[in-house]
Amino acid sequence: MELSAPTSGDLVEVNVLVNGMPCKVAVSAEDSAVELLREGLQLTGTKLVCGEGVCGACTVLVDGIPMNSCVLAATALDGRSVTTIEGVGAPLHPVQQAFIAHDALQCGYCTPGFVMEAIAFYDCWRAKHGTKQPTRAEVVEGLSGHLCRCGAYVGIIVALRAACEGRFDHPVAYGPRMEAVDKVTGRALFTTDVRERGQLEGVILRSPHPHARVVSVDLSAASALPGVAAAVQLLPDGAKVRYVGQEVAAVAAIDRRTAKHALALIRVVYEPLPAAVGVDAAKARGAPRVHPRFSLSAPRAAEGPRVPARWRGNVHDTFDGLSFKAGKARKLIAAARTRQDPLLIEKRWQADVQIHTAFEPHACVACWSGDALVVYASTQAAAYVSQRIAKHLGMAKEKVRVIAEHVGGGFGAKLDLSAEAIAAIELARVARASVRVVLDRQEEMTVGGYRPGARIHLALLARPSKLEALQVAAYADAGVAVGSQIALLARMIYPAAAKALSDFSVASHQPPGKPFRGPSGPVTAWALEQAVDEAAARLGLDPIALRRRWDPDPLRGRLYDWAENLVLWRNRPAPGSERGRYRRGVGAAAANWIYFFQKDCEVEVGVDKGRIYVATAVQDVGTGIRSVLADAVARTLGLPPTQVDVRLGDTQLAKGPISSASRSTATLVPSAVQAALRLRTKLERRSLSWKLAPDQIGSLHARSGRPRDVRRASSAARPLAGTGFFGLLTRAGFNFFLKLGVGRGYTGAVHVTEVEVDTRLGTTRVLNVAAGLAAGRLAAPELARSQCYGGIIQGIGYALYEHREVDPSSGVVLTSGLEDYRIPGIGDVPEIELHFDQRGFAHAAGASVGLGELSTLGVAASIGNAVHNATGWRPLHLPIRPDRLLEGTTR
Amino acid sequence: MIEYRAGGTDLQQRLRSGVSQGRIVELHGEPGLAGIVLASGGARIGALTRIAALAEDRGIQAAYPALASAAATLATPQIRAMATVGGNLLQRTRCWYFRNPAFSCFKKGGDACPARHGNHLFSSCFDLGECVAPHPSTLAVALLAYDAHFETKSGQARPIEALYGNGSDARNDHQLVQGDVLAAVVLPAPAERERAAYRRAIARASAEWPLVEAVVRLALRDGIITAARVAVGAVAPVPLRRMRSENALVGSRADRQSLEAAASEAADGARPLPMTHYKRALLTATVLDALEHACR
Repeated sequence: MELSAPTSGDLVEVNVLVNGMPCKVAVSAEDSAVELLREGLQLTGTKLVCGEGVCGACTVLVDGIPMNSCVLAATALDGRSVTTIEGVGAPLHPVQQAFIAHDALQCGYCTPGFVMEAIAFYDCWRAKHGTKQPTRAEVVEGLSGHLCRCGAYVGIIVALRAACEGRFDHPVAYGPRMEAVDKVTGRALFTTDVRERGQLEGVILRSPHPHARVVSVDLSAASALPGVAAAVQLLPDGAKVRYVGQEVAAVAAIDRRTAKHALALIRVVYEPLPAAVGVDAAKARGAPRVHPRFSLSAPRAAEGPRVPARWRGNVHDTFDGLSFKAGKARKLIAAARTRQDPLLIEKRWQADVQIHTAFEPHACVACWSGDALVVYASTQAAAYVSQRIAKHLGMAKEKVRVIAEHVGGGFGAKLDLSAEAIAAIELARVARASVRVVLDRQEEMTVGGYRPGARIHLALLARPSKLEALQVAAYADAGVAVGSQIALLARMIYPAAAKALSDFSVASHQPPGKPFRGPSGPVTAWALEQAVDEAAARLGLDPIALRRRWDPDPLRGRLYDWAENLVLWRNRPAPGSERGRYRRGVGAAAANWIYFFQKDCEVEVGVDKGRIYVATAVQDVGTGIRSVLADAVARTLGLPPTQVDVRLGDTQLAKGPISSASRSTATLVPSAVQAALRLRTKLERRSLSWKLAPDQIGSLHARSGRPRDVRRASSAARPLAGTGFFGLLTRAGFNFFLKLGVGRGYTGAVHVTEVEVDTRLGTTRVLNVAAGLAAGRLAAPELARSQCYGGIIQGIGYALYEHREVDPSSGVVLTSGLEDYRIPGIGDVPEIELHFDQRGFAHAAGASVGLGELSTLGVAASIGNAVHNATGWRPLHLPIRPDRLLEGTTR
Repeated sequence: MIEYRAGGTDLQQRLRSGVSQGRIVELHGEPGLAGIVLASGGARIGALTRIAALAEDRGIQAAYPALASAAATLATPQIRAMATVGGNLLQRTRCWYFRNPAFSCFKKGGDACPARHGNHLFSSCFDLGECVAPHPSTLAVALLAYDAHFETKSGQARPIEALYGNGSDARNDHQLVQGDVLAAVVLPAPAERERAAYRRAIARASAEWPLVEAVVRLALRDGIITAARVAVGAVAPVPLRRMRSENALVGSRADRQSLEAAASEAADGARPLPMTHYKRALLTATVLDALEHACR
């Protein structure tokens, strides 16, 4: 019976054929196959994401069958044959070619797993059915054990169907994303894959208390453990911890297991303090204070500049700064309430916390060489983080180099210098060796970042021709962080005679929230756009027609034209007409966003060894900025994009932007074009051409910052115009502190969504989404489509599935893995139609504006309106879970 | 404590998180524990049979369609290819307090259930013992509906109910004695021309632990139900048979009214926790859904 019974820690030898090569690997009984492959054999194409068999990123073929290597015992590989992503792709498999051609990937972190599963599906399909095309449902079922946080599912489905049909049996060179080959072959190197010589593994000791004082930290026993190279304290004695999971100390050792053992030997004496976990506890009378009065040290959950605020207990109050005739608005709404005006729509809305959970966790590898530091980081802000590291350590900027060649998703969670980087840097300094710190999924789900929860009291006084008055009081739940723009964003879309807008953050003893794709935007739309829908119903008007009356923006006006003419919209059921178990509904939502660009960036275009290159220290988080840059330069110089090399993700290059606030394209494209033009002038002055042999040109380059937008001749609105002193202050904050330019004109979006509600089991299935998006000229149309598909799919997750759950007394995050925290799967993807209106930004340098955020803003609101159209029940609380839907519809 | 490892899909997760510290005993390679044998008298399914093999078995699909359907629906294709029938029946609870190393609970040798007074959104709505976690085995629900027995290496053969007990044992996920090993499950022959269905309530399209799941079997003669089995899962610390629903079905016509009446009996005896009231309504709905599917 007991074939082998190794005890923990003892090594067993496993004989396994890996990609056709016989391997002998010593493993521990508790190891999983993924450790054998990644650590033992350094086959890092296989990725570890969830660690519990949910997401499929670690899928490999075992005797030809796809299995999750994270929950497969390493010992189970003995005598078996394993194929990893490194074992396919020379030449590229038709599935890989199809993934490249159909842009079936974004950040690329889940891609190797998808490719392995798709290859197994393809082989099986071709053997049974030849080149008959599988149905969408068959492909979806086959890939149902895989998750993609970027939402690249649309391309994946199309790619696999096309590959099975035989459309990629012969090599096809084309693909819209230049790094796609590296990503479908597993060659793309992410921070988690970096392995320097003598590299150590670092792990972090975290606070088990939601609120406590660190009395003392004793590292001696941990330091003395054989294999441990460094143990450092991350918080000084006497400091407070304010949430479960806060970083206290860290250890570096020869491997992760030893480091974890050492963590258990660290003795921390805490003085537990009374805690306020969650908004209700934090607002209660006598609640313990999270931050000292007048504190400015709270982390920020929003991207905007810090605005003036006061603390009332744990409530951070921003003075209604961006209101407009607030007193009048309150008066109008109070009067409407008194006379029971049927055109007063007043409700309390709520949104649960949404976790970013990028598939590459927060990760960092730090390497010192003398007094210089090289940091590999999974970051959206290489250039900014390198500055922050230099400042943190008191070093010269030139001595810190940050490298981020490929980043496995961010969505706003990786915008700053974070604790795993500080831990890696400190450990590497003490250990005098490279140290890698990679958060496990539980850590990522706890401290990696989340979109703050919210409670919104919104009152809207409607008139057929205009929005009369609006009052919004929004309370954000961002844990120890503050900063929320839910009410402020309600300022931007429909003009009104008066608006009273108040944004509060309620500080509590929870990890800090962070900006998440369109910070506050989807929440604002959830409340405002459903209120507008309700107003249309009470006025007996078509909801899109009402928006057209209220919204003077010409760009969204065109989107309303487009939306009204959709068959989807015209065929929407009359309210109350759906009576069966399954009820169909169609809803619409509008949204707008600010056009941002970063002002202190540069792009270099040059010739080196006979090749044209474009270089800037931006990072690719899955948006495809490499191809955007290559295309811009190639177009300017009249070359095919394949002749342009792209260098990025390295702070030795010209300063690049942070990948957030939809700024990358608007920042970099005009700079790249300008730099390319300058290079061309330089070449022409010397009567040279880039077609000459390398030695004839030598090396030559030109740099450019971002040229200015056309100043006049623009009818586009100036965002935050007319917002008085606080508006000026906000604009100034963007300009001076964040180096973020606010361009003229809002980008616009209209989402029209069809759902089918199962009123028996409480489920909502999204059948169709049509998204009209206006953000100027598309710099790279295929990549823009991919990004918008992803934004819509993340919006569906926000609307229907995603909610963080916390233990109410300890503050421990319970949805600490992808099993309990549910992100959209491939079966949840609707048919998506994208409509781009490319006019309206001729005044913008480059004429292209970002749309990463725009595409997600109105999704949840349109689903809310569709559910209402289907059932007559107005969902107020995000997400629309089955239990909430059943309670609401059967009441 | 000993941890037996077959497919490992449950154990590896607990080893990774540190919740399991057990000494590992490998089960794989044991002859005779894998495979499906169908005979006129019923079926015998070895404990080491992979779930995918069970789902794809033509004989099982024909004779025990709800078992095949349950096997084909649970988890994901990769997990079904790795995990075993025995492992599914004996897996540890998925309760997020149990799975989180920060908490102690009855099933980790502690003396309290942190879910009961904490966040128990996905817990039981039948409060049968001190632990409020529902049993996670989908196959157990199907086997209960099919009147299956289990056999152990020590030679015991007992009804599947006995594998789990009545739900009052907060400390164990099953009732096998330490050291004994599940060998097989044995199913009696199905009734003639019986119909069966497996249905689950989940938020997403697939690959999700059910909020509620149900297996029903109906034998019909001339439109009259002559025998019925209704078993439900994800609602109690053990899979439950719903006798009152069965009794309501037997002798009645397979029409909408009697199916609804029988389904409404399924939640009889439910005692939801503050956050699991929704499961009571969902249980009735899921049973009705399964009954309707079986009658199609």
